[in-house]
Amino acid sequence: MEEIEKTLTKEQALIEAERCLYCYDAPCEKACPAHVPIPEFIQSIRSGDLKGGREIIEEAHPLIESCGRICPEESFCQSACTRAQIDSPIKIRELHRYITDHTDPAENLDLLPADKGKIAIIGGGPAGLACARELRRMGYEPVVFEKKQLGGVPAQEISPTRFPREIEQKEVKFLHQYFITDVKDGKVKSLSEIKGDYKAIFIATGLINELDLDIPGTDLNGVHHAREILRKVKAGNNSGLGKRIGVIGGGNVAVEVASVLMLEDPKRDVEVIYRRGLKELKAFKKEIEEAIDVGVTFQFLAIPKEIKGENGKVSGIVVTRAHLGEPDESGRRHPEPIPNSDFFIPLSDVVIAIGQKASDFFPEVEKDRKGLIKVNDDMMTSVKGVFAGGDIVRGASTVVESVADGKKAAKAIVKFLEGGE
Amino acid sequence: MYKKKDLSIDFLGIHLDSPFVLSAAPPTDELEIAYNGLKAGWAGVILKTTSVDGNPVNLKYPMMSSFGPMHKKVVGLGNIDLISAYHIDEVERRVKALKEAFPNKMIAASIMGATKEQWQTLVWRLKKAGADLIECSFSCPQGSMGEEPGKMLAQSVEATEKVTRWVKEAAGDTPVLIKITPQVTDIVEVAKAVKRGGADGITASNTVPSLLGIDIKTFEPYPNVFGKGAYSGLSGPAIKPLTLRTISEIAKNVDIVISGNGGAFNWRDAVEFMAVGASNVQFCTLPMHYGFRTIRDLKDGLAHYLMDMGFNSPMDIVGKALPNIESQEELPSPITRAEINEDKCIGCGLCYAACSDGGHLAIEWDSNKRRPHVNEDKCVGCAMCMQVCPIDAIRMKEKIDGQLHYFVEER
Ligand SMILES: Cc1cc2nc3c(=O)[nH]c(=O)nc-3n(C[C@H](O)[C@H](O)[C@H](O)COP(=O)(O)OP(=O)(O)OC[C@H]3O[C@@H](n4cnc5c(N)ncnc54)[C@H](O)[C@@H]3O)c2cc1C
Ligand SMILES: Cc1cc2nc3c(=O)[nH]c(=O)nc-3n(C[C@H](O)[C@H](O)[C@H](O)COP(=O)(O)O)c2cc1C
Ligand code: SF4
Ligand code: SF4
Ligand code: SF4
Repeated sequence: MEEIEKTLTKEQALIEAERCLYCYDAPCEKACPAHVPIPEFIQSIRSGDLKGGREIIEEAHPLIESCGRICPEESFCQSACTRAQIDSPIKIRELHRYITDHTDPAENLDLLPADKGKIAIIGGGPAGLACARELRRMGYEPVVFEKKQLGGVPAQEISPTRFPREIEQKEVKFLHQYFITDVKDGKVKSLSEIKGDYKAIFIATGLINELDLDIPGTDLNGVHHAREILRKVKAGNNSGLGKRIGVIGGGNVAVEVASVLMLEDPKRDVEVIYRRGLKELKAFKKEIEEAIDVGVTFQFLAIPKEIKGENGKVSGIVVTRAHLGEPDESGRRHPEPIPNSDFFIPLSDVVIAIGQKASDFFPEVEKDRKGLIKVNDDMMTSVKGVFAGGDIVRGASTVVESVADGKKAAKAIVKFLEGGE
Repeated sequence: MYKKKDLSIDFLGIHLDSPFVLSAAPPTDELEIAYNGLKAGWAGVILKTTSVDGNPVNLKYPMMSSFGPMHKKVVGLGNIDLISAYHIDEVERRVKALKEAFPNKMIAASIMGATKEQWQTLVWRLKKAGADLIECSFSCPQGSMGEEPGKMLAQSVEATEKVTRWVKEAAGDTPVLIKITPQVTDIVEVAKAVKRGGADGITASNTVPSLLGIDIKTFEPYPNVFGKGAYSGLSGPAIKPLTLRTISEIAKNVDIVISGNGGAFNWRDAVEFMAVGASNVQFCTLPMHYGFRTIRDLKDGLAHYLMDMGFNSPMDIVGKALPNIESQEELPSPITRAEINEDKCIGCGLCYAACSDGGHLAIEWDSNKRRPHVNEDKCVGCAMCMQVCPIDAIRMKEKIDGQLHYFVEER
């Protein structure tokens, strides 16, 4: 599967860079959770020093390749761009991507010796990798415990049409080679399993478990979990699904899996079945547009009631038509079922994409109602010397926010170990 | 996090940690601002031109104007500023303070006098204060002081040589730069006069006399001082081509160290200045526009350029382009034709308009397809079409005895 978005041409990049005002105290930079010095890297595009641009981004943001491609810019940097007050915001992410597409990881590194002691990092996703890199920069020896594959969700799940494998590998390999002292394979379920001379622990296991749909029929053959499918496809395998697929959910994962299944077999019929409307759909604008572009259809205001089957295999789903009521605790309008409005959608497969939940691992640390790990302002959990960040703390978030957590935690860990600021 | 390439150079015996210096102008006119510039990473400062105590400096405000398209107005910056309102007593103190705070940076000062005694007093006092270098402004567009006020000293070959000699006599082993104007009939004659006068180097060059604009309803000029205006000194990107010519003419004809100045806006401009003979580069409008943070791109860009080119030191660049600059009649005579890249062409038709009405009627226009076509029999290869193409879809193909060469402008 090929990447959908094309990189900017040199002319496009130069003209777009020229539009940037080079703001002082730049709001775009502040709105970026990783605080990438945006006006500075745009200036390097203007002046033709792309290597310099790469160093500027990389220094602030270890997952430079991911964010050039999959950062939801509309929620961060671009939402604050001053230029929007004249006409439209600068295409910051695409300029960022332009730099990464024309440069290689900067290997002219100048690092302190790694001799300040080992830190255990559980989970090698964006938060874990960012924390590891910052710790290594400050002279520590990060050891990453990873049960599956370094890189976390972007490496394991995000569609290759948005984030190709070889690009993702470039980033992770570089971090592995220069910033990680050791990688230990295997699942860690409790802090007591971390044995050895570690000065601190950072938990960044993300959210792996998927929520189950609480309706009859989920045990039928042909009912799948979205992220399992994404993992399969990302690993280069065929999903093995049939011709008429209903994806249940209203978030990025639902939209993403629908697109991937459609691209896998354009003769398929893939429909996102969502109980609220388009406005309530919690997915990045660009992803929704891409999904519509590739032919995904949307069944809005449809509450799943029962998955039907024949001979143990899915045959379709019964849904109830809804209308939108008052906003609920999520701030979005609540879908109210309309009496006697059930209808049947024939399907070969049902894909559930209604959200993820935390595991019950690490019983030692305090958690909230949803099982997310609680931390203080310094990212420290209820256990002294144990820190946490990324999705396992925030709930489903983004790569750049997880990176920001990893960076912040690294600073806090060093402060905890060395004192001072 | 990255190993930084050493950009240091020796400039007239002074260590510069990069070739990038703040010129005598507003960024060096307040102690605090000059301090911030050095702290931000500039290699040195030339404090704004000072004069003897009591010399009146009557500044008029507003003093700036500019021209350029809407959101990039400062293609050219015009100013009717004068030399610093701070006199030598204050500047002496600043030299000492800055030298103390930044012993490894170049702390220089610019001066302007009216008489031999004034010039020499200024030099002696700066020397005593510990200035690393003294620059003499022979080129304020509002005119020099002394014999012919209103005229620039550097516009007279005799005056240039005479005053340079006074200054160098007083300066002894402290290096002296003479800052000249490009607004002369023969820049080489002026540079020779500077050399004969004994200066260590030339700053080429100051702002260019100009008139920034006229309000066509009120007929008041820009900058508009209560309805009136004066000629401005023009700086910024607009004058870069003039500076390139000035530097290279001097470098080709006079054996003297050159400090490049006038229109450099990024590291590539600086590399160009050095390639035609400058040993370092001074900046004013760039930091005035975007702030001292601009030093980062200058240094990083130069460092990466040196590495890519396999150069050891910025000094390796100096003069590299000079052997390629010749008089028009010495140039080869290739057969030149425009070559349009059809895949890149967006069909704006500008090349057609340019060639039809300002070239040689050599471009044919397919109105249905919206595509130009070069008629090779008619095209002489003037390159006007290439200049107007908004997407760089045109290059010039040059041929001599079957050997090919292309003209493209790198961006
Ligand atoms: C399908 C999908 C699409 C997304 N699209 C985007 C997008 O376009 N843009 C965006 O910014 N964000 C996107 N996100 C969100 C983003 O991927 C996450 O916010 C981010 O990856 C969280 O980083 P993390 O490091 O906290 O956790 P993760 O990325 O989940 O990484 C956790 C790592 O820990 C490992 N691990 C887990 N448990 C253990 C254990 N017990 N022992 C050892 N190792 C363990 C995992 O294998 C994994 O490698 C998407 C998420 C999904 C699911
Ligand atoms: C407002 C202003 C004031 C200046 N004052 C002086 C001065 O006092 N002495 C001097 O030698 N040059 C002065 N200059 C000229 C600058 O030092 C510099 O030579 C010129 O601006 C060209 O460089 P640039 O294109 O990098 O700005 C002044 C320039 C400006 C814009
Ligand atoms: S806010 Fe927009 S215009 Fe300003 S520096 Fe950032 S990208 Fe450029
Ligand atoms: S730049 Fe500063 S000093 Fe100059 S007019 Fe504006 S506010 Fe006043
Ligand atoms: S100017 Fe350039 S883009 Fe426009 S028609 Fe000519 S070749 Fe095409």
